[in-house]
Formats: sequence, structure tokens, C-alpha cells
Amino acid sequence: MRQTETVQQMLERLDRQAQTRRQFVGWGAGGLGAFFMNTAMAAQQPTTSTGLSFRRDPSTPLSVLPPQFPAKAKRVIYLHMGGAPSQLELFDHKPLLAKFDGHDCPQSFLKGKRFAFIRGVPKMLGPQFPFHQTGKNGTWISDRLPHTEKLIDDLCLIKSMKTDQFNHAPAQLLVQTGDARTGHASLGSWVTYGLGTENQNLPGFIVLASSGPGPTANAGKPLWGSGFLPSVYQGVECRSAGEPVLYLNNPHDVSRASRRQVLDAVDAINHHTEQEFGNPETVARIAQYELAYRMQVEASEAMDIKREPAAVLARYGAEPGKTSYANNCLVARRLAERGVRFIQLYHWGWDSHGSPSDEGINIGFVNRCKETDQPTAALLQDLKERGLLEDTLVIWGGEFGRTPMEDNHGGSTEVSKYIGRDHHTAAFTVWMTGAGVRTGMVHGETDDMGYEVVKDPVEVRDLHATILYLLGFDYQKLNYPYQGLDQKLTGVKPARIVSEILA
Amino acid sequence: MAGLIAARPRVSAKAYFGAVALATALGIAAAMLLRPAFAHTVLELTGLESVPQASADSFYAQRVQPLFQAHCIGCHGSERQKGGLRLDSFAATQRGGKHGAVAVAGDIKGSSLFERITLPATDDRAMPPSGKTPMNNDEITVIRLWIASGASGTLPARAVKGAPRLVAPVTIPELNPSAVVKKRAPLAARVAQLRGRFPGIVEYESRDSADLVVNATLKHDAFGDSDLRALAPLGARIVAADLSGTAVTDAAAPLLAAMPVLRSLRLMRTKTTDATVTALAGSKTLKVLAVGKASPEALAPLRRKGVRIYEDADGG
Repeated sequence: MRQTETVQQMLERLDRQAQTRRQFVGWGAGGLGAFFMNTAMAAQQPTTSTGLSFRRDPSTPLSVLPPQFPAKAKRVIYLHMGGAPSQLELFDHKPLLAKFDGHDCPQSFLKGKRFAFIRGVPKMLGPQFPFHQTGKNGTWISDRLPHTEKLIDDLCLIKSMKTDQFNHAPAQLLVQTGDARTGHASLGSWVTYGLGTENQNLPGFIVLASSGPGPTANAGKPLWGSGFLPSVYQGVECRSAGEPVLYLNNPHDVSRASRRQVLDAVDAINHHTEQEFGNPETVARIAQYELAYRMQVEASEAMDIKREPAAVLARYGAEPGKTSYANNCLVARRLAERGVRFIQLYHWGWDSHGSPSDEGINIGFVNRCKETDQPTAALLQDLKERGLLEDTLVIWGGEFGRTPMEDNHGGSTEVSKYIGRDHHTAAFTVWMTGAGVRTGMVHGETDDMGYEVVKDPVEVRDLHATILYLLGFDYQKLNYPYQGLDQKLTGVKPARIVSEILA
Repeated sequence: MAGLIAARPRVSAKAYFGAVALATALGIAAAMLLRPAFAHTVLELTGLESVPQASADSFYAQRVQPLFQAHCIGCHGSERQKGGLRLDSFAATQRGGKHGAVAVAGDIKGSSLFERITLPATDDRAMPPSGKTPMNNDEITVIRLWIASGASGTLPARAVKGAPRLVAPVTIPELNPSAVVKKRAPLAARVAQLRGRFPGIVEYESRDSADLVVNATLKHDAFGDSDLRALAPLGARIVAADLSGTAVTDAAAPLLAAMPVLRSLRLMRTKTTDATVTALAGSKTLKVLAVGKASPEALAPLRRKGVRIYEDADGG
């Protein structure tokens, strides 16, 4: 019967259903129903006493809004090295740690501390690769990143990052959403909520993931979720092989015109529902369908790296048709050029515990370096040459660091043929470059063993406050009322804008 | 009562007060000998010694005092004076504590201040004491440079070489909506009208600014010289314009060159040539220029002025 129902009939039927529902609410719990409705509406239309207004026409939820004050950065490319690369094998040069290689870890490093896998007394583990000085300022770097090394004078290394989460999922969530638990809005969501996006034919927040073998996104999709923000601000995961967005293209034999007809009918129903219930999420849904329709044309073009000259592909080491970090880096540049606000890359597989081989610093880690070094450098060089680094902020880093002790796998005394380090919260390295970032500098220091930060500690919330500052926001003012609190990316603890790393 | 007074030996008032004055003077003199800090206070109070003052532009005022403020004055300030030492003014710093001067001009080894802040944290005499944040290497360098250069209160900050970079904390001004409305008022009607005509292309640079940014790249060749001319009434306020990939030509050059506050201009993948680049050479505000094709000769004057130039890798 439903199959023969016209759109008009359907609308009428829905209207009748809605009326009975409304009557029920009216008879049964009028006051209460109205109360809940008002609360729901209030949540959708944030008006805060302490924050800025982000009111928009609900049909264009991603429209551009100016930042609070003139911004240095217009867009962000975040290169998240999932699993946490070892700072002690890349940027944090610790010659003294080499001298203590194989010695028992001193009790002062273990007392009152908790590690993910280390139990008992582990041995200290010296740096596994040689370091040398490079660039104008003689910055120390290992031999694992020969391409990135050439751009060292463009980077700002923060060697004093700290976190309070020693497991991947909560630590990734902390870095990406400002909270170790799920349900909070991700950095990309906050940024698109605050600024909208320039290109209305592409999502404002795009996620591109690649990996070595082994586990991927430990925390899953909440890493790019919108949490308590309207769902339209969540990240859209795209693929660099095959169709960029799953289920985006029309099925075989469905023309664009007939897809348009279907969408018009769906939109009509949704508009009707919106008028009936006044839920702005319905308008967001209509907007999402329309965005998907426009994306059918634009996304395929934007993600199609076959259109790039061979020399560019070679520079990145990109191979069209594959899922790779190299391809994603090239796509990231194309998206940045096309006015996408927040481009989030993940490359998984840096979890170097030393067992199995792909978690060995001598094997898996070496491969991750090879997979990412050249594409990262190519991306930076490309952005630089095109003038995009003037207003693009690039961030590289994992969710925590690695211990200066060898991972003894739960206190095991067996000798593994692979070398590994455990998760380390007390110190790790992140680098930034681009819009508004002071380049050719190192911020912060760790002690001689690379265990603790001894100078200029930077908490994750400080990094977030700094990123938002570069985008033209006071982290206190970019907030959203939810559950009785003006929610912020930085949480409730005070954060500090790291003024030392600003250009 | 009267009998008791009468029983006392008779001492003249003069002799009595003279003796008291002498005893006080001897006491003060003894204290001055034992406590140099006290001696300075006395001499300064009696006007025999001038109170040392630091000048506002001095290395001390700009770099050293903030460190004392952050690390020391909890125990060496107006509330408490452990060891008789105060570090909350230049004069007090010069006076030192009960063991004498803490900062000896030019003598790092002889300055107990420097010794104490560089002791290992485990030492009982280390300052700040254990549990407090120790001074970091940069901060210690500042103290060392100050003492080495004479522990002066007047030596200007710029005269001290090798000091770590001073970074001021970020301050964000409060948003003042009525001031913003006032700033925007002269062009507000025009801006509203043209934003209606060119949706998504003209935007205020920020919520606290009357300056404008123009981004026409997403219009591709549907945006041309006539559209840019339509935006001309806003030209006085345009600080950034991205016209890459649009149909603008050299005909737009005079308009762009006349924008008085233009900082960033992008013309990649357009038909503009050296003519536009040359027209821009007079700009006093341009910082960033991205062009398609342009000759080194045309770009040279801009490069000389420090404009950051980007050329289209794909050749215009």
C-alpha cells in the first residue's frame, strides 16, 4: 500500500500521526512536554553569557563566521601519528641515556608511577638511532627523517608535551577532543563550529586515515565526533582509494536528475517534519543531504589525485588507487586549496612495544618513518611553495611519548628480538608549523634521561588553547552550553596560550 | 608618692636624655656593623645615602625583577623576610640579607643569590626551596647576566647581550560590540548590500574589526573584473583578497593597487601579468603576493621591500 502512496498522501498521513502525538502530549503532560521542548530548543540555539554567538541560518550550518579577532591561521592540517611515535628515536636527543643503556631503571623513575605494560624493574634503553645537528640553529634530529630534516628550520618543535592518559584510546581522545572520555566535541568540530567552512560543496572537517599493519583508531570515530555540538560539525571520513566517500555516488542506473527528484521529495518531508516539531536537527539533516548532493561532483574531483602531474605524485610518493599516508598528504593539500577548514590525517601503527615485529623500534617503527617522512616533507614543501603555509597551521604528533626504559612486557625477563618502549605520559614531542608559528625553534626540554619535562611544560589543553588562538579565538569564548556548563575544548582547568612559540 | 620621687638621686634631664641618646646611637651603630642591610636602611632614612632606584628600561626592571616576583617574594617580600632578605625592590636587593649582599656587582662566584639558585634541588640551601618550581636555565642565565654586567638598576635591557628572548604573555582584548558597530558604521550599508550580492565572498576579518577579506576563488571564472569593480567601494577596508582561479585580468590592477590597507593578495591561475605586479610595486602595506606568471624583473621591487612572493608551481 505504501508503495502507491504519493508524497502528498504521505505528508497528510504524517500530519495526522503528528497530531495524535501532539494531542497526547497536550492531554497527558502538557506542562512537562512544553518544558522539555523548550530545553531541547535552548540547547540547539546557544546563547551564552560568557561566549560568542554562533547563530546561523539552520539551512547553512557551515556558513563562514569571522573569528573573534584577526586570525593567523585560516585552516588546519593535523597529522596524528596514532599509536605514539618514540620521541627518543626522532627529536629528543639524549646522549646520557645511551650511557645507561642496559642498566636497571632507578627507583625514582618507578616509585608511585604506573605504566601500561612495564612491571617490576625494567632496563634503561638508549636511543636506537644516531642523532646529528641540522639546520641554521643546529637542531638535533635522528637519521630516521631525512626528508623532514630538510625543513627543520620551518618547524617549531615542542619537546615538553605532557598528558595524563597512558592508554591509547583515552590519550587520543584527550588530544583530539580535550577529554579522555567519549562524548566531547573534537578539535575539528570546534573549529568548523566556530568558523564554518569556505567551500560549501565539501565538508568543513574531513578525516583521512591510513595505517601500517596492526590496530587502527583505538578510540574509533568519537575521535572526530561532534560530541555535544550539533552533529553537522562532526568529521567526514574520506578514503584515498576507491570512492572517496562511501555511498556518495549514485548507484548504477540512477541518474543525477532522478537523484535530485528523490532528494526534493525527501526534503519536502523533512521540511514538513521540521515545521511540525521545530527540531533544528531536521534542518541539519536536510542540509546534509544537500551537501552530499553537491559533494557528488566536488568531492570526487578534489580527492582525485590522478589529476596531479607525475612530478607531484613522485614528490609525495603517492600512488593513485592505494590507501596510503602519501596519498592522504596530497589529498590534504588539494583540500586545503579548495577551502576545507580542518583536515585531519591519521597514520596508525606507531605503537612500538617491541613485540611483535611490527611493534619493534627496529622494524615497525622504521617502516612508519619511511611511510610518513617523505610525504610529510612533500606536503610542507608544497604548502610552502604555494603560499598556503602563510595561513595554514600544520600540527604533527602522537597521543603520548615512549618511555626511556625498555618495555619488559609485564615484567618478563625473556629477551625479545624486537626492541620496544612503553607508553610515556610525562614527556613527548609535537611539532607545529605554518600560520603564526615561530619557526626554527625548540620549545621545552626534558631531563638527561628524557623522562620528565624540566623546562616549559605544555599540557594538551595549552596546545589546544594555542591552536584556537592562532585561529582567532580565546579558548574561553569558544564555548557551548551543555549539561549546565559552558563546554570548552580545553575543559575546566586553566590553560595557557604558549606565547613563546608564536611568531 | 612625693616622698619616693624625692628619694631618687638627682640627675639632670640633660644628662639623662644625653645618656639615652648615646645608648641608642651605640645600639644602632652596633646593629649597623652586624647587619649591613640595616646600615643601608639607616643611612638611606637619614639621607646620608641615596635610595637606589631602578629605571624602567633597565635590564633589572624588565628581566630580573619579574623573576624575583615569580620565584622569591613569597619568603623575601613585604610579608616575610627570611634571612632578613627582601627582593621586592631594587633598593632591598642591593641591601642584601643578614649575611650581607646577595648580588655582588660583576662577581658571580661571590654572589650568594647566584650560588643558591644553582645548587642541586637536593641541597638544603637550594633556592627556591624544595617543593617550589626551580628557576630554569633561561631564568638562571638572566640572573647571571645581570650580576656579571654589574647588578645594575640602570643598565638598559638592550645593553645586555645574550639574554634569552623575552616573551610577553598573550593578552586578548575584550570584545566591545558598540565600538565595533561604530568602527564599521561608515561602510556598513555598502558592506551589507555587497555581501548580499556576493554571498560568501566578502567577510569581516574578525568580529572586532571593520576590515574586510575577499575570497572569490570558489566562484572560479564566474568572478571577473566587473565583479571586482563592484566591490571597489569597499576597497579602503580590504586587507586580504584571494582571487586565484578567477577571471580577473590586468584591468583589475589599478583597483588592487589603490587598496590602501591590502596585506595579502593571491592571483594564482589568473590571466594577470607583469602589468599587475608592476602596478602593485607602490603598495606600502602588501606583505604577501601569490601570482601566476610574473617575470623576476617585475617582482624584484616587491621582493626588495620584503614582500613574500609565491609563484604558481603549475605555471600560471
